[in-house]
Amino acid sequence: MKTITKKARHLGLAASTGLALSFAAGSAQASDCGEVSITEMDWGSAIIVTQVAKFLLEQGYGCTVQVVPSASTPALASVSETGEPDIITEVWTNSAPAYIPLKEDGKIKELTEVLSDGGVEGLFIPEYLAEAHPELTTIAGVLANPDLVGNRMHNCPVGWTCQVVASQLAVAGGFEAAGVEDFVHGSGETLAASIGSAYSSQEPWFGYYWSPSTVLGKYPMVQVELGAHDPSVHSCNADKECPNPTLQSWPSSVVTTVVTDTFEASHPAETDLMRNLSFSNKMMNGLLGWQDANKATGEEAAVYFLSSQSDVWATWINDAARENLAALLQ
Amino acid sequence: MAYYDGLFNVLGLRTWCDANAGDSNLSMASLLAKTKPGTADDGPLFPFPSMDELHQACSSMPQSRDFTASVEAGFLEVKDVLKLVLDPLTQPLSWLLEMALTGFVSAPWWIIIPLLLLLVWYVTRSAAVTVFVTLSFVFLGFIDHLDAAFQTLAIIGVCTGICILIGVPVGIAMAKSNTFQKALIPLLDLLQTLPTFVYLIPLIFLFSVTEPKLYGIAIIVYAIVPVIRLTDLGIRLVDRDVIEAANAFGMSPRQKLFGVELPLALPNIMAGVNQTIMMSLAMVVIASLVSAPGLGVLVLRGIRNLELGVGLIAGLGIVLLAIILDRVSKAAIARVSSDQTEA
Repeated sequence: MKTITKKARHLGLAASTGLALSFAAGSAQASDCGEVSITEMDWGSAIIVTQVAKFLLEQGYGCTVQVVPSASTPALASVSETGEPDIITEVWTNSAPAYIPLKEDGKIKELTEVLSDGGVEGLFIPEYLAEAHPELTTIAGVLANPDLVGNRMHNCPVGWTCQVVASQLAVAGGFEAAGVEDFVHGSGETLAASIGSAYSSQEPWFGYYWSPSTVLGKYPMVQVELGAHDPSVHSCNADKECPNPTLQSWPSSVVTTVVTDTFEASHPAETDLMRNLSFSNKMMNGLLGWQDANKATGEEAAVYFLSSQSDVWATWINDAARENLAALLQ
Repeated sequence: MAYYDGLFNVLGLRTWCDANAGDSNLSMASLLAKTKPGTADDGPLFPFPSMDELHQACSSMPQSRDFTASVEAGFLEVKDVLKLVLDPLTQPLSWLLEMALTGFVSAPWWIIIPLLLLLVWYVTRSAAVTVFVTLSFVFLGFIDHLDAAFQTLAIIGVCTGICILIGVPVGIAMAKSNTFQKALIPLLDLLQTLPTFVYLIPLIFLFSVTEPKLYGIAIIVYAIVPVIRLTDLGIRLVDRDVIEAANAFGMSPRQKLFGVELPLALPNIMAGVNQTIMMSLAMVVIASLVSAPGLGVLVLRGIRNLELGVGLIAGLGIVLLAIILDRVSKAAIARVSSDQTEA
């Protein structure tokens, strides 16, 4: 018994030393980059962006990536107070009032527009409604036929910047008087569910949404023309207290990738990757459409992008990363 | 080479399996294997034979996502029938909520507040509670939270009323029948623990999200459980000897229920009512997520805009309403109990 225990103890010691050495060897490779934390927002395009970035950072640059599920406002608050997480993806600057003061303070660095065409925000109607009643594709047509759109404009929840703008547009266009009620939803989930519900019963629907998004990828919608955008009057539309708003369309929403100032200083190569990482609306809508058609997860959509469009992402990474990912780039 | 390849080969299902080869999407694991050939992680030593794991060995096996997709498809199939049945049943709830909300919001404060204070005095006969309620309303009015507070109060009032109307009879039925109790307890557990959004989002497919019954159902489904449970408990706890005496007097079951059991169970039932009120107030913010007006909307606004003060004050407003309703119902319970001991 005694000899067996002694042998077991020796074996145990050898095994643990071996493990410790292998850990050291493994981490030596990753120590160039170390740990990087990146947010993953819960909507379709954001998941794809984060998964693509995670793969490139891990396999190309040898980082250990920690994915933090989050949303815009808490992520920006966390960065301003604690300097974590390192990378915030897909900040829709139109919808994050906290963004501008943080940028001016210098706590966050805006790297690039991750959706290079910008996000499209506006008032939409379902495709089947636009086909049955083409006059509803302009706001004048909607206001002239309120029954055809269900007598209601589905507005964003309180707290989203789009809610203020849409409500001001309703005031400017006289929606209530024309018979279109400004219905403010309680949450983004009910807004999305109302579109799904209307589509499944082919019922009328009229309200705010944005693109690129999973909902618009799944349920084709047509934008209602609100008139050309004039930036000088948009600030009034975005202000709840402003007494004379104008009926016009939304500006293209700038959607950015943001890193902390400490991350930019300590990880220049990885910051360059995040600076180059950018999707056009056509590319992103294509990926979201593929994802819905193939019942894929966000991760699988990222895998599809990485394996089929290597010419696109090969330009984002530096030479060292290109060597590491040579097997995929053939 | 998936782990369970051998299993399907042995069962002779290889041809059936390969019929759908190449159908599924490329996974991250496969991509990593392509990137670093040879150093690919083989996965766990003995993976659980889950649907996804078996699918890797046999492409004709459905994946887990097909299971969830079939549940969704099933729901969309029965949706129209469900709507036909549930819509008329729940319409009264919509009307009541709309009436209460219009009533509370359109009536001027100098009518509503005195009416409420009279009601408080009538129910509690306690000067301390009435003064406390007066001061609370004055405070809420002073910080411009009175309209929101009244909307929340209206919603809670209607929902709690319906909870009691439905809950007490169900509790009595549970107390009278052991089988019914056994059948109902798992359902009550489900109602209290199922995440609200899980059944609310499908409900949006049945009713429009603009209907008040959506948040009415959310509150009632969650808050009805304490009153049912405590009514059942209260009646079952009635002293056996008293029941025997009632039987000896030749009381019919109906006389026993209304003359003996309910009065004796009343403290427990009132405790249940008190808890139902508290749980309705706990649901205020979730109700606002499905478009309920009131203090919950202010809380959500504060959370989304990072206006911590707005969220905190609105939350404290909800707490204040909870304290008011708690004190009022406790004082009412005390009156009922003291009436009983006097008798």
